Amino acid sequence: MKQILKGKSIKKLGTVEGEALVTTDLVAFWGGTDWETGDIVEVGHEAKGKNVEGKILVFPAGKGGAGDTFGYYYLARSGKAPKALICNRAQNTTISGALLVDTPMIYGFKEDVVKIIKSGDWVRVNSDEGEIEIIRS
Amino acid sequence: MRLNREQEDMLSGKYGRGTQKAIEILIGLGEAQGAEELVKISYAHLMPPDVMFFPYGRQGRWAHEMTRELTMDIDRLRVTATIEPLFCDLAIAKTIQFTDDMIAEMTKIQGAASDFYERIGVIPNYSALPFYVRPGKFGEHVSIAESIAILWYNTMFGSRCERDDGVTSLSAAITGYCPLAGAHLSENRPGEVTIRLGEDLNFKQFTDADWDAFSLASSRLCREKRPVFVGIPRDIGLTDLKHLFAVIAVESGLAVMHIVGVTPEAPSLETALGGRKPQAEYVVGKKELVEAYQLANTTSDRDIDFILLGCPHLTLRELRELAEELDGKKIKDGVNLVAVTTRMLLEQARDMGYVNSIQNAGGIVSCDMCIAFAGTQVTGVIATNSIKADFFYAGFSAEGKRKVRFGSTRDCARAALTGKWEGRVP
Repeated sequence: MKQILKGKSIKKLGTVEGEALVTTDLVAFWGGTDWETGDIVEVGHEAKGKNVEGKILVFPAGKGGAGDTFGYYYLARSGKAPKALICNRAQNTTISGALLVDTPMIYGFKEDVVKIIKSGDWVRVNSDEGEIEIIRS
Repeated sequence: MRLNREQEDMLSGKYGRGTQKAIEILIGLGEAQGAEELVKISYAHLMPPDVMFFPYGRQGRWAHEMTRELTMDIDRLRVTATIEPLFCDLAIAKTIQFTDDMIAEMTKIQGAASDFYERIGVIPNYSALPFYVRPGKFGEHVSIAESIAILWYNTMFGSRCERDDGVTSLSAAITGYCPLAGAHLSENRPGEVTIRLGEDLNFKQFTDADWDAFSLASSRLCREKRPVFVGIPRDIGLTDLKHLFAVIAVESGLAVMHIVGVTPEAPSLETALGGRKPQAEYVVGKKELVEAYQLANTTSDRDIDFILLGCPHLTLRELRELAEELDGKKIKDGVNLVAVTTRMLLEQARDMGYVNSIQNAGGIVSCDMCIAFAGTQVTGVIATNSIKADFFYAGFSAEGKRKVRFGSTRDCARAALTGKWEGRVP
């Protein structure tokens, strides 16, 4: 089964694909995530203990301090960044982090992405077209 | 993106590589946000990574690399700018458990960075509360990199800014522009949901910590949606507002919210909601408040090693409360209390005698630094009056080296005297 969702891409960076990690909680990269391991470490977070490295990270929106952008930058410099970011509402700090290290990011879908995509789904992210394709076997 | 003549000249490299890189960053960000143009700003608050973001080790080098191209040939900013706290006051770095090697490195990196920003004309306020130095004006566009200050300028002053990070705000200060998007646009400012206090609670009985807990509970309900607070007393003071703003700014990642009867875009609930119906109406009652306290207290240990206060920087009222609790007494041996504020407030607190009372009891009073970030090197149990600091102390690594006790400024001061946590929970 295939499903295509359209949103707004922050930059044309080609197509990547991978396994989705979906969380219904807002995500902070500075403080909320360990930049050296890629683990979500925030107390009380729905995805605490999950690792974002190499995943298509699907979340409602970013949160955190204005330093959240640097958190994402440090995460990427450690080689632990997600492959792509997919969210409903794009925080400026999240966009800025993704732009600093050229992570594809698509946001602003008609649908609520955290309800439609499930952790473990295979997701193809086409940042040139602002499209994601959910592929389930 | 439509560019004016000046912006095109910047993009062509006429003003040098730093300015060119800065405008490239802003255009890239603007396109990502869907902006059609850049807007002139009148003020910026900077958050340079090499000043503040763990300036030692490999991330210290990365921090410098992030802004190297931007700053290479800049000798003046185009707008008035203030700056975030330095990472750490070197005089207290050993007390909060940094090694000599780390201190040597941060001396070099944050020192070189702060020298640079002062040379290009930044007002060296080193503060998370820049609105004490440079208040905003209604409707003006600014670029701020500090989550509480972003929320404060938008909400309290009716100024317009987005959630800009350190690279964006620096680019904005270099060029004098930022993307016209997000909270810069009227359509993205009205409240979306409402939040009221439950009938089992009373704002008039709130401690500063209760405001933090209320803020955390609120953010868990409204999440990324812009709230309108209804029923908050019109005479709410700056200290309580600081606590309300600091937590929700981080936990919800909000650029703007509204308080009916208090903030300029909320003379009435209807206006604050932009004439629309709220998408949800939330109530924070005692149950939600107690849950927030439970989340913020990450341990049940009662033995306290550190009392770290000043995220965001302590206000005069907080310093006074500390001084009142500590005056004429001694902090327990083996317990360290560090209270951090902004330099101008420190001077006033000194005049009022608060600093003497805290220091004579054995406490450390400092300024110009970030106790939330620099405090993450300590091990043991930390007591704090800030859920924002708590987020960072309990965060960053899964190893759980630091445990946190959260409560009011007065509860933290009492814990310093006895070494035991007896914080009140509503």
